[in-house]
Amino acid sequence: MTLWFVRGIRRGIVTTRYPARPEESARFLPTPPAFRPRELNRETADRLAQACPSGALTRDEDALVFDVGRCTACGRCAAEASHAVISSAAWELAATDRSTLIKRIPLRAAAP
Amino acid sequence: MSTSADDLRAAIERQFGRSLHIRTLDTGSCAVCEQEIRLLAAPHYDLHRLGFFFTPAPRHADLLLVTGPMIRAFEVAARKTYDAMPGPKVVVGVGACALGGVYPADPFTHGTVDAVLPVDVWIPGCPPSPLALLHGLGVAVGRLAEKVRDLPFTAEDQPERTRGDS
Repeated sequence: MTLWFVRGIRRGIVTTRYPARPEESARFLPTPPAFRPRELNRETADRLAQACPSGALTRDEDALVFDVGRCTACGRCAAEASHAVISSAAWELAATDRSTLIKRIPLRAAAP
Repeated sequence: MSTSADDLRAAIERQFGRSLHIRTLDTGSCAVCEQEIRLLAAPHYDLHRLGFFFTPAPRHADLLLVTGPMIRAFEVAARKTYDAMPGPKVVVGVGACALGGVYPADPFTHGTVDAVLPVDVWIPGCPPSPLALLHGLGVAVGRLAEKVRDLPFTAEDQPERTRGDS
């Protein structure tokens, strides 16, 4: 404790700019999913929307609508379609406008 | 829209200076958001170094941290709390419940906080980590930039990023 205090005084820096360095512990946080549009078709999108317990995922014609605000990062979409969904690793999600949290992810065109 | 937000930020900077008092309001959350909010005062995050302080009285508060889905039984208390705060005031909706993700609007809950209170900043997460809360508070007082606006939440053919535990 004393050593820690003396070291702190000697360094002379009490505050840092934000962020002082990339936040290492952030990779352990559950984060909302990110989607691979190339792997998404209507059928996959419907399955994802069905698997989402909080209604964050819906399909609107040829787009997957992802409401980041409603996402609880439960990971059920990743379990449902692991080839199309990965963790986004995004945690600085605060928004002053609710609509900026709603993302439209275009689906791949119908299967050839 | 941006001009009014800029006006708000200028007013916050002018009137609040660098110190801001926070009142938390639990409108029916499961208390995990409260655990994360409480951790803001721990040495790891140290909210007070940034000039934020918790206050138990809405009359001393500048910022209202609202968690939970706004149950209807709490509506009167929420309005009273909001009205008791001196202006200018900022309302921050915290967590997926407050943003409408967990409970639907039904006879027991409103489902979202902005059904009752005018929310200025939204912090998603279930629960939002203390880091995310700090970022949200920084956004609320205009010190940090919003990032989610530019995040597409798509991943092109980049190597898969895995979480530490999976």
